[in-house]
Amino acid sequence: MTWTKVCDKSEIPEGSIKKVWARIGGGIPIAVAHHKKGFVAIPPVCPHLEEPLEESGLVMGCKLTCTKHLWSWDLETLELQDEAELPLKTYDVKVEGSNVMVYVTEQLEYNFDEDEDIDENTFFDDDDDDEW
Amino acid sequence: MPPRNHKNWLNAPHIEHISSECYNNHSIYEQEIEHIFAKVWVPMCHFSEMSNDGDFRSSQIAHQNVVAVNNKGAIKVFLCPSIDRPAGNGLDTVGLKELHSEVKHGGMVWTTLDPNPTQSVEEWTCGAFDCIAEAIDTEEMEIFHYHKAVIDTNYKLWHDTNSEFYHDFMHYFNRVSGFNDEYFARKNIPFDNGHVNVSSFTVNYEEYDGFEDRGELSFPNLPPNQWYMVDLFPGFNFNLRGSAYRSDTVTPLGPNKVLIEFRGYGLKKDTPQERQTRIKHHNSIWGPFGRNLHEDLIGVSGQGTTMREGTEARNILHGRHENSTIHDEVGMRHYYEAWGRFLGVSPGNPLGLTAEEVIAAE
Repeated sequence: MTWTKVCDKSEIPEGSIKKVWARIGGGIPIAVAHHKKGFVAIPPVCPHLEEPLEESGLVMGCKLTCTKHLWSWDLETLELQDEAELPLKTYDVKVEGSNVMVYVTEQLEYNFDEDEDIDENTFFDDDDDDEW
Repeated sequence: MPPRNHKNWLNAPHIEHISSECYNNHSIYEQEIEHIFAKVWVPMCHFSEMSNDGDFRSSQIAHQNVVAVNNKGAIKVFLCPSIDRPAGNGLDTVGLKELHSEVKHGGMVWTTLDPNPTQSVEEWTCGAFDCIAEAIDTEEMEIFHYHKAVIDTNYKLWHDTNSEFYHDFMHYFNRVSGFNDEYFARKNIPFDNGHVNVSSFTVNYEEYDGFEDRGELSFPNLPPNQWYMVDLFPGFNFNLRGSAYRSDTVTPLGPNKVLIEFRGYGLKKDTPQERQTRIKHHNSIWGPFGRNLHEDLIGVSGQGTTMREGTEARNILHGRHENSTIHDEVGMRHYYEAWGRFLGVSPGNPLGLTAEEVIAAE
């Protein structure tokens, strides 16, 4: 495996995150975030509930926040912040000229529980109220 | 019950819901300006802000500059394209187009851009103020507090916050000291035209750290330490907490930007000592360093960020049915029923997308 270009750096202004594809096999989806200190390449979903980070992710300074449930990470140190309970997985990333390059050996994914159907009829039952 | 993941949220719920497009679509916003804000009665300011002959107070409704003027004790409201300052005395109104206006419900100045309103203010509010009428209309009120905030959020998210009360779990102090059985038993009461009010309960202020009982300074005819709220369609809130009264008026500035004007009131007959106490009571809850207001503003700002323009459409559930008690979303359902009627759209699909277009968008 080798470094592969995923996009031009002008496509990801500082303070944004974009879903790109590494042209390997059938294609590997990657989210590239441009934070204050550089670029980070990660799987394109939040490790919490599979929210697409291109939609729900907010990059401010060096911090990435999934706005749905406020899981956050410091993209420079990769420390967990706010509500985050799991670390981000990362690909090595570098910028060569105007190219954003990612080193991909395999697709990084998080382990999620299998989808469970939501029973709308009981969703608002009071069983959980005492958790407050 | 597992939490909903991304895929779950994209499925059409089998319970009442609306689309987040109601909050972030520019075309919807323009329709709201044209079909709602240009039609309804708006409480633009309070009589006590302009109590002297010649005083005027300006505002903006549906992109139009309006000015209310005290003309020898009678309030008149005009369209005033050139006005560029919020208040003053001695405005020349010659040649300005007069709008319908009334002073009603505790001295609020109401106006509408509608040249032929089919309802008076009394008819428009449909009894939503009845629960506090004797408290706010018995004695003349006087404004003692005004501030405004421009928040990056949709105006309806502010109104939602004033209409649903599970958001109270967000408030740290409420969570640790404010709730009791009476709190949860309060009822949401819908009125025609999309208005709702929230029935009262006795607030245990003495359980709040650093707070005191407010019974002694209760508004007229109000039992001690009661708390009533009137949520008026499409975005005006009136809040009576025993000894202090607050009103919120929204001016939408875009799909994700709103100007909110906050006013606090006491009684005109207050002694200096009484007024000082009311101000303290008002500010300790609703002032910039109070218990609640800033947390509410942070909350709706976060919602605005989550649902900012261009983000993926999501379904927002309004499915709680709990005998109209405080966490029942009957108020939200009632509001969006009226909202959909004004715009002629379904809040669940406000852009009128076909099933194929919905799938494609997903």
